[in-house]
Amino acid sequence: MLGMDVLTGALIYSNLLVLLAVGLTLAYITTAVPNFAQGSFAVVGSYTALTVYRLFHLHPYVSLPLAFFAGGLVGLASYMLVLKPLIKRGANIVTLMIATLALDLILLGLRGIYAGYLGKITGSPCEMFMFTYLDFQILGLPAILVVSTLVIVITFSVLFTLLYKTKFGVALRASMENPDLAEIMGVNVEYTRMFAWFLSGALAAMAGCLLPFKQEIVPSTAEIIIVSIFAASIVGGLNNIYGALIGGYIVGLSESLVTYWLSTVIGAGVLVYGKVIALTMIIVTLLVAPQGIISIEWRKIKKIKRWCS
Amino acid sequence: MEEVLKVENVNAGYGKLHILFDVNAKIYDNQITTIVGPNGSGKSTFLKTIFGLSTIYSGKITYYGKEVTNTPPHEKTKLGIAYLPQTDNVFVNLSVEENLRIAGYTLSNEETNERIKIALKVFPELKKHLKRKAGHLSGGERQFLAIATALVRKSKLLMLDEPTAQLSPKFAETIFSKIIELKKEFGLTILLVEQNIKRALEISDRAYMLIGGKVVYEGSSEDLLSHEKFEKYCLGIGVEV
Ligand SMILES: Nc1ncnc2c1ncn2[C@@H]1O[C@H](COP(=O)(O)OP(=O)(O)OP(=O)(O)O)[C@@H](O)[C@H]1O
Ligand SMILES: [Mg+2]
Repeated sequence: MLGMDVLTGALIYSNLLVLLAVGLTLAYITTAVPNFAQGSFAVVGSYTALTVYRLFHLHPYVSLPLAFFAGGLVGLASYMLVLKPLIKRGANIVTLMIATLALDLILLGLRGIYAGYLGKITGSPCEMFMFTYLDFQILGLPAILVVSTLVIVITFSVLFTLLYKTKFGVALRASMENPDLAEIMGVNVEYTRMFAWFLSGALAAMAGCLLPFKQEIVPSTAEIIIVSIFAASIVGGLNNIYGALIGGYIVGLSESLVTYWLSTVIGAGVLVYGKVIALTMIIVTLLVAPQGIISIEWRKIKKIKRWCS
Repeated sequence: MEEVLKVENVNAGYGKLHILFDVNAKIYDNQITTIVGPNGSGKSTFLKTIFGLSTIYSGKITYYGKEVTNTPPHEKTKLGIAYLPQTDNVFVNLSVEENLRIAGYTLSNEETNERIKIALKVFPELKKHLKRKAGHLSGGERQFLAIATALVRKSKLLMLDEPTAQLSPKFAETIFSKIIELKKEFGLTILLVEQNIKRALEISDRAYMLIGGKVVYEGSSEDLLSHEKFEKYCLGIGVEV
């Protein structure tokens, strides 16, 4: 029998993965950069929450807006200082990818230095931490489930309103589809790119702010979770924001539930290799539907099915 | 006659690929100026260069006496220059209405609404498709939408790159009559690139012929039409006259 807490954990994890994948997809659609530093953007949020908690004793949930801005600034700075100059010089996708890998390692280093410093001034180590002991219950449910779900609902409502009801949003969608034409229409496409990177970092950091309620933050957290973020975006379809929503849940739930199921069959040793599921899903998607789930024409498949029977 | 646009000794291309050589041109107010020339002669590049979408190596472009040689495209839009590319000239994933809205990006909301009304008066065919995705329009309707978006932009100088390409003669004729309407009713200055050479020259005031990135003819379109070499040019181009 599937334990309630296994399912709850899977849902929480999926919620966070969706936030992370949406950011990755946004940056990819607007600037064609596959950002391997997305996991590090997330951990910016984790450390924002930890800092505020250690120094001012404010609950991590209160830090969500601050994490949003901190992550947003890191995202924006990464774009302005590293990626934009490279794109201007006509860098291809491989160069951009390597640049984000380097950026990730730089952020990893900075994180280590900061963790050491924070540990020193607060008198307790900050390299590894969790917030689970700070969580409480809302209507009998773990608060983290409620909060992460709320964040998703609010994020997507705001995003939807922005993209479909505001002038800037329509300009953003136009820039994603055809940046040259958008520029011709008088849109400053550069602004939309900057906005996308800000939002990408901001959403990631919100996820990172909540992540310690689900799992321990360790020095390599960012580099471990990036695999699942890419899986979510690719499975859903890298060219579509809603792909990240669907992909996030598919990968998040599969990763948690399949690993759990395997552990009951084979043994707890499997738990360490959870990312195998995400990686397998990347490869299967690339082989079967390279444009992701969102691109599959279900009507056609139904037709084929009818034709087969 | 007021000079809207002046192109002086412009050399331009894409990166290191030199396409336009010492091009000089003048576009006058409320006139239709047509650019003709064989495929690959640099007609589209000429429009892109004016709009700031190619690399300019040397030369000078002035718009109403103001130098705009290095002004970025979105700034040129604000100055009243509209450019309609030869391909990909509408957002296929946006609805017809959103396409019209985005065209008014640099205007206030009220002004955009007003301009959309005007554009729909010129292109009533679009009214029943407002909520449809532009990608689902027919080729002709899409071209209507593209020109309509240029109209929304409240421009003074309208640059159209082959607006009748791939349209049936009937649709092409409709487009030509709309272009005349834009000139007469809205006082627009129009710079036109066309493969329907004869029809285009008939409706235009002045003409340029480009061959190999160089201007080989400049003058009234009437003269070009009756030019003894015109037919030869056209044969060279491979278009029936
Ligand atoms: N973006 C680009 N990058 C590099 N070269 C280009 C680009 N666009 C056009 N060219 C080249 O520049 C030359 C002139 O092209 P251009 O599109 O201006 O010709 P055109 O006169 O408009 O032709 P057509 O009648 O076929 O539309 C061609 O050799 C073309 O291959
Ligand atoms: Mg052309």
